[in-house]
Amino acid sequence: MTLVHNWHLGRRMEYPYFESRPKRQFAAIFNTNRCIACQTCTMACKSAWSYNKGQEHMWWNNVETKPYGGYPQSWDIKTLKLIDNGENTWYTDEKDEKTSPYGVYEGDTIFEAASKKNINQWAVGYIPEDKEWRSPNIGEDVAKSNKADEYSSLPEHSRWFFYIQRLCNHCTYPGCLAACPRKAIYKRKEDGIVLIDQKRCRGYRKCVEQCPYKKPMYRGLTRVSEKCIACYPRVEGKDPITKGRPMETRCMAACVGQIRLQGFLDDNPKNPVTWLIRHDKLALPLYPQFGTEPNIYYIPPRWAPRPYLRQMFGPGVDEAIDKFMVPSRERLAVMSLFRMAQAIIFEYKIEEGPKVFETTIHGKKFEMFNDTVIGYGEDGQEIVRTTIEEPVYIRDPKHYNSI
Amino acid sequence: MKKNYLLLKRYGVALLSCAFLSSALFAAEETAPGVKEASEEEFTPAKEVVEVKFVQMDRPYHLDVDSLQGFFKDAKAVTVPLQKQDKAFPNGGGSVSSAEVKAIHDGLTIYFKISWSDSTKNARAIAVQEFRDAVALMFPLGAVEITPAEHFSPRMGDREKPINLWHWKADWEADLLVKGELEDVEVQYPNMHDDFNFNPYSAYYHRELITSIEVLSGGRAANNLLSQPGRGRVVEDLNAEGFGTLTTQAHQDVNGCSKYEDGVWTVIMYRSLITVDPHDVQLVPGGTTYFNMAVWNGGEQDRNGQKNISTQWHPATLERVAWQ
Ligand code: SF4
Ligand code: SF4
Repeated sequence: MTLVHNWHLGRRMEYPYFESRPKRQFAAIFNTNRCIACQTCTMACKSAWSYNKGQEHMWWNNVETKPYGGYPQSWDIKTLKLIDNGENTWYTDEKDEKTSPYGVYEGDTIFEAASKKNINQWAVGYIPEDKEWRSPNIGEDVAKSNKADEYSSLPEHSRWFFYIQRLCNHCTYPGCLAACPRKAIYKRKEDGIVLIDQKRCRGYRKCVEQCPYKKPMYRGLTRVSEKCIACYPRVEGKDPITKGRPMETRCMAACVGQIRLQGFLDDNPKNPVTWLIRHDKLALPLYPQFGTEPNIYYIPPRWAPRPYLRQMFGPGVDEAIDKFMVPSRERLAVMSLFRMAQAIIFEYKIEEGPKVFETTIHGKKFEMFNDTVIGYGEDGQEIVRTTIEEPVYIRDPKHYNSI
Repeated sequence: MKKNYLLLKRYGVALLSCAFLSSALFAAEETAPGVKEASEEEFTPAKEVVEVKFVQMDRPYHLDVDSLQGFFKDAKAVTVPLQKQDKAFPNGGGSVSSAEVKAIHDGLTIYFKISWSDSTKNARAIAVQEFRDAVALMFPLGAVEITPAEHFSPRMGDREKPINLWHWKADWEADLLVKGELEDVEVQYPNMHDDFNFNPYSAYYHRELITSIEVLSGGRAANNLLSQPGRGRVVEDLNAEGFGTLTTQAHQDVNGCSKYEDGVWTVIMYRSLITVDPHDVQLVPGGTTYFNMAVWNGGEQDRNGQKNISTQWHPATLERVAWQ
């Protein structure tokens, strides 16, 4: 094992390989507050990459309902149990913007649990059986608590559920990559996308076992494993629609609820993805305690109980929800970029507009300005321009009856 | 705990340099992370020699265990002790404690007969939780004399010390018997719902979809032998140069057959004594070769390094040809 820095955990941790970050990291932000679980993302992926034989059970992208749903069933609870050492807590007194923005995780990661338990493999894990990959939406829309006297009022509902959108996290320290005894899994230096080499894979299913998010899937037909490929041809700009510009993936671009923004985590503070994750800390990693430094980030659902959310997204939850409920001028502007373009936005600029609205939210003053946000592509060219207030079009009375 | 992290933060630099130092020290001792150093005995070959008996035989039309079995009757059986693989991550195995090996040749072909007990027959790897039974023989590549001084690893070979590996798989045997020579998903899931009809005789046959199987079957498109239908064999011919380097050969030369009866697997692997492939071990009557072996018990989820291995090379002497 070597020691690598994991900024989600705010500390160094054990990992079988040296720290080697990509030039820029494939990343996405999902606003769970807006998801309607229409599964358009799921079908966009399925119809592109996994409609074929032997892939019947595969959903590289899936949307599940928390707390009961899971694909494969109960994946998160099972993995949480594997790393539980009785003191999986966070030490949040001392933070450092760069190296430990959420504080320090004191428990074990999947790698540390494996070395403590002396199981002679790189990470703890389990292989979900075929029946666990079935009924991917079992638990759908089932609320926590159905007691007649429990009604919902903010800030935390006592009867609640929410949707969580999942795909491979293209982790900085992938469990799948660590697990593979053949080094058939690699992380690309240019964009951090994690792929399984279909020629080198021998179907050992160590990745299926040791990915804590259960995103590599075994394909009985070919006797090897497959996983989300981050639509790499699109990300590389090979799709003719964006004329050579890096393009968001199928599942991102198809999102009807406009909850998704995909791009790269890099050093540019004016990159909308980097800004929301590293600077604003509005979007948080999913189960950071697993230790893989996952790269899909979530704006937590504001109505769900905080202890549950802290377990799921780490200690940054309270701050993120506060920020989401009363968004700052810049935050509102950046969030307006979600699903405004298919080409990946590398930088944003805000042109200030007039104040259009003012109110108080949970005792805090909120002012809204009709600013204009401009998104620029990799080449510095403008690819999108939008305003905070959506333009309103009034239909001519003579068309009232038409669609 | 809290104190530790504070310490780590305050004295991070000093600690880090210690970590570097220790990892540098490790690097000098260890071959790779997760790999333990082999002991000296491992470089010494086993005493008991497998005598590869010359047998003049009328090659049976069907090369199956029943028709080949009789030719082994005068060959001496050698019991190879097996143990858990405990040197390279992931460790595992330990459920099979020994295997019996016999070998013969007829001047053209060498036949190894290996049998071991295994209470479960695992001859399919279609469901995610299913692993196959398997057995492998490995040989040092080239003219190598195994001596302690040679330091030739009996595990998976080493850099610049390549091995040739013959890997029999129970599910490949099953694949051979079905039309198209690859057991399909329906075999495991007969009632699996699918949106597309793959039956070419149905009214809904969709040519483009059927042919796209190849395109969207990563393993097949990448020419992975494990994914290919119609391999025509049950033994894979491979090379390795240490842990994690196992590679399928472009030219496949080994074949075999098997039988599972009363909780015992009997596998016969055979190959021409001499091949034209430079990646193959060459076997010469009158000469000595070395081999080592491993057995995988699919029922125990054995695969890759999770296997039952012999930790020593075994000499095998090929009897001279004496035509009568
Ligand atoms: S989410 Fe799983 S499959 Fe994806 S990179 Fe991380 S460990 Fe690997
Ligand atoms: S990024 Fe592409 S391959 Fe991955 S889940 Fe989304 S659509 Fe599927």
